[in-house]
Amino acid sequence: MTKIAVQVDDLTVAYNYKPVLWDIDLEIPEGVLMAIVGPNGAGKSTLIKSILGILKPIAGSVTIYGKSYEKQRSLVAYVPQKGSVDWDFPTTALDVVMMGTYGSLGWIKRPRQKEKKAALEALEKVGMLPFKNRQISQLSGGQQQRIFLARALVQDASIYFMDEPFQGVDATTEIAIINILKELRKAGKTVIVVHHDLQTVPEYFDWVTFLNVKKIATGPVKDIFNDDNLTKTYGINYKVSIQE
Amino acid sequence: MSNAQIEIQLIASLVAIACAIPGTFLVLRKMAMISDAISHSILPGIVVGFFITQDLNSPLLILLAALTGVITVVLVEYIQKTGLVKEDTAIGLVFPVLFSIGVLMIAKKANDVHLDIDAVLVGELALAPFDRLIISGVDVGPKSLWIIGGILLVTIGLLIAFFKELKLSTFDKGLAASLGFSPAIIHYGLMSVSSVTTVGAFDAVGAILVVALMIAPAATAYLLTTDLKKMLLLSIVFGVFSAISGYWFAHWLDASIAGSITTMLGVLFLMVYLFAPSKGIIAVMYREKQQRTEVSLLTFLLHLKNHDEEAERHVNHLNEHINWQKVRSKTVLDLALKNNMIVINNAIVSLTSKGNEFTTQAIDYIITNEDAQIEDMKDDFFLFRG
Ligand SMILES: Nc1ncnc2c1ncn2[C@@H]1O[C@H](COP(=O)(O)OP(=O)(O)O)[C@@H](O)[C@H]1O
Ligand SMILES: [Mg+2]
Repeated sequence: MTKIAVQVDDLTVAYNYKPVLWDIDLEIPEGVLMAIVGPNGAGKSTLIKSILGILKPIAGSVTIYGKSYEKQRSLVAYVPQKGSVDWDFPTTALDVVMMGTYGSLGWIKRPRQKEKKAALEALEKVGMLPFKNRQISQLSGGQQQRIFLARALVQDASIYFMDEPFQGVDATTEIAIINILKELRKAGKTVIVVHHDLQTVPEYFDWVTFLNVKKIATGPVKDIFNDDNLTKTYGINYKVSIQE
Repeated sequence: MSNAQIEIQLIASLVAIACAIPGTFLVLRKMAMISDAISHSILPGIVVGFFITQDLNSPLLILLAALTGVITVVLVEYIQKTGLVKEDTAIGLVFPVLFSIGVLMIAKKANDVHLDIDAVLVGELALAPFDRLIISGVDVGPKSLWIIGGILLVTIGLLIAFFKELKLSTFDKGLAASLGFSPAIIHYGLMSVSSVTTVGAFDAVGAILVVALMIAPAATAYLLTTDLKKMLLLSIVFGVFSAISGYWFAHWLDASIAGSITTMLGVLFLMVYLFAPSKGIIAVMYREKQQRTEVSLLTFLLHLKNHDEEAERHVNHLNEHINWQKVRSKTVLDLALKNNMIVINNAIVSLTSKGNEFTTQAIDYIITNEDAQIEDMKDDFFLFRG
């Protein structure tokens, strides 16, 4: 039996007392590359933020390998939605990637040579080493997304949560990113990705969760990625042609 | 310079530094308005503190008043969270109410309180040296100097200890929270430092100058640098420069010191806003003009590349052709010649091999959006920079 990496029980999350996620139950097995799909405003980002303790749910619980998130922080890396930060912030690509090491440093301690080296390696992995000293506003959308990915890689986690990592990136970057994600899965990591392009779900992922305020379905792509679940999630009569 | 003059400049400079540090983070967090709110709403805190301590310089009064500042922030956030109004509206609702409560309290107790609203808002730096701190009979300097010096030391200590946390939570609140650096703790820490600084400085320089010293130097520095540490340093330099030059400006005009310092801050910002090398108005206008020219240049080169026939490459024909944009054909032609991209023989224009290669690369870049191959072109052409 595979281990459960992330377990969500009866999770209900609200903004200003208006629930946007109702009673979510979800088990994510270790080692899957999973897409979370659902329309805009379905609560995909909210689900990730609640799992990571960024938002406090009004009910329910989340465990990472059987323990609370607070105890397992070091096992988890997070790539927020690109639009959630101010790219005009006065800092460089390298500095942003270094932020991924802050968690293992804890309060007050500063990053040193070791952290810098790890950050440079991560930059290398995403092909952004030549841009390490570039101010982040001077990077293209795809490059900014690669920087975010490098920052997650530097955390050297077991579970990766990524919120729309393909948003606003060109085709080359998309392929580069998905290849890195597939490598992570090969190394036994669990990767959870909020994804928008339904056409590429079967090609990129092996596990999928349909979400729209409630959980519609979760499981292996080959079993549950079908028109029935898509229609339930997106409301309209959905047809995707799945190429083998 | 007399002793009093030196002391005034020293106090003003220390206030400037103490304000620039939290100010830099307020500006980056787009919270400039909150410092205005804090500076006004601390008034009731000061009055209550004064009733209790009977001493405007007591540390207890500073803490009580700073607490009012933090309460302001909490109230603003609470109102904002209801989702009924936006943040600026919430700020506009909270601080006039708190400020008026302070004004009413002063009016009711006007007889036994030596506080007046003018002094709170504008302060009087010129008087700061006269309120001395005497320890067992020895005059150790103006009280304001000690207060603001103490606050500054604490601020610098906190900045050094929590620089990494401040940077992370200002840039990416979500990541900070997921890594276990509670953004709320950092937020309220910053708000507390801003409040304490405001209260500690208001007596000497007044609330308005405190706001100006928090926001203007940071906003000015923001236009000049892409490095957070440099931005902090520049904010401090601008704050101190304005404090000292403002002092002498006031001396020369025989005007209010706080007013002159604020004026200097404004002038400094205006100069940088106009002349900053990359974010300044003039630089931006120049860049846009250059980009227009370069787009025309590229269209021009592409036209040459696509047409072998000489009629299409005759100067007269091209002259008509290039003028479809607001760029003069001569400018484009000169730019191409200067870069050895074209040669003109008997009024027939031809691409050089350099021009040919450039055109291929540029078009390739525009189609594929692949950045790496044009790194060296970025230095010469604005077109390929961000
Ligand atoms: N900070 C917030 N305050 C209030 N409502 C919010 C906030 N963030 C998101 N929402 C609402 O919650 C719902 C789910 O949002 P989100 O999780 O961002 O959706 P998704 O990521 O699936 O597009 C949306 O209706 C959105 O408007
Ligand atoms: Mg989202």
